Amino acid sequence: MKLSKKTWKQISRLKRKQHHHIIRKIHKKHNISYKTLFYMKEYGPKSHVSSVIIRESIKILILASILSSVGGLGLQSIEKNIVAIIPLLILLPALNDMIGDFGTVVSSKFTTMLFLNKISKIWWRDADVKKLFRTVFFIAIISAIYIGVLASVIAGIMGFGINFDLAIKVLHISLLSTIILVSIIFFVSVAGGLWIFKRNEDPNNFLIPITTSIADLGSMIIFAAMVSSML
Amino acid sequence: MFTKDFREIFSAEILSITGGLFAGTLLAFAIGKIELVPGIFILLPGFLEMRGNISGSLSARLSSGLHLGIVKPKIEKNKIVRGNVIASVLLVIIVSAVLGTVAYFANLYFFGVNNISIIFIALFAGIFSNIIEIPITIFTTFWLFRHGHDPNNIMGPYVTTIGDIVSILSLLIAIVII
Repeated sequence: MKLSKKTWKQISRLKRKQHHHIIRKIHKKHNISYKTLFYMKEYGPKSHVSSVIIRESIKILILASILSSVGGLGLQSIEKNIVAIIPLLILLPALNDMIGDFGTVVSSKFTTMLFLNKISKIWWRDADVKKLFRTVFFIAIISAIYIGVLASVIAGIMGFGINFDLAIKVLHISLLSTIILVSIIFFVSVAGGLWIFKRNEDPNNFLIPITTSIADLGSMIIFAAMVSSML
Repeated sequence: MFTKDFREIFSAEILSITGGLFAGTLLAFAIGKIELVPGIFILLPGFLEMRGNISGSLSARLSSGLHLGIVKPKIEKNKIVRGNVIASVLLVIIVSAVLGTVAYFANLYFFGVNNISIIFIALFAGIFSNIIEIPITIFTTFWLFRHGHDPNNIMGPYVTTIGDIVSILSLLIAIVII
């Protein structure tokens, strides 16, 4: 369906405002999806693409940077341990990636369930929620073992001194950090998703930045706490 | 248990954490250099996250444009692609400067170390990683789309994996130069 110049201009001129009535009208009349109309509104002929992107991204990116730096402070405080125990250094980026990825997966999947009306009031009894938790938790455990073991193996191959006791401790740190963080991420995604959804907002726009920031901050702080207490 | 969801999440996760382990191995190789820069661990998590955030969003926006037919999957003069590249470059410079400044002040306040070079390291590494990662992100997104794949399903873990490796290499190069 091709839009007339007049309609195109009307969309391009719209201010960033949710649920604008003209979007709904055009969606109904021309059968164009909301996502397409949103993209046209954002990046239409009248808009300055780079300004729109920078304006909308900068706040959340700076917030995420500050949160990550707080996590970095935790790391800096255990710098001597990390530098002395090389498997921990090898483990660090993988652990950070893994927790962030689970934050994204749980948030997006739970939001889809909310939109599909699959979540009841007693959400912890819902079969889909239980299945999601089991799947994510099982993958998290396997991934934690994978990175915990490989970090020690790589350190051994590289010629850094590593013994069996140390390798077991590294595996414990990887497993415990993952179990704690995945549980926190799951709870935040579900509770946050329900709270935002009740306010008629799209949880996708809030949950992923929130959960990835919590994942980054939490993974560094819990990792630092584990290292301090176990080594 | 071993459903389609399980297989998809698991395979993406293994790819992502294997890249993370490779990035960690690079860090371990350069441990001697890293130790010389006080406060580098304050900078590290934010720097690793920044590349994934910016390139991931770049890829997602381009994917939406490709699906809508507004962006063509080839390098040509296009307002949206150009705007995305300019925005990504500027965002990396701004966020790198913020990360470097926060690391500098945190290092000074909490550890009493005055190391101004951390700001220049963050900026240099940010700009250097941009030069490598933005073209990789654009070419890969276009290539995947041209070959009938949905870049949204693949670019997430791909960008974080490549982002980790490129970011750490850039940081190490910045440390050596500065």
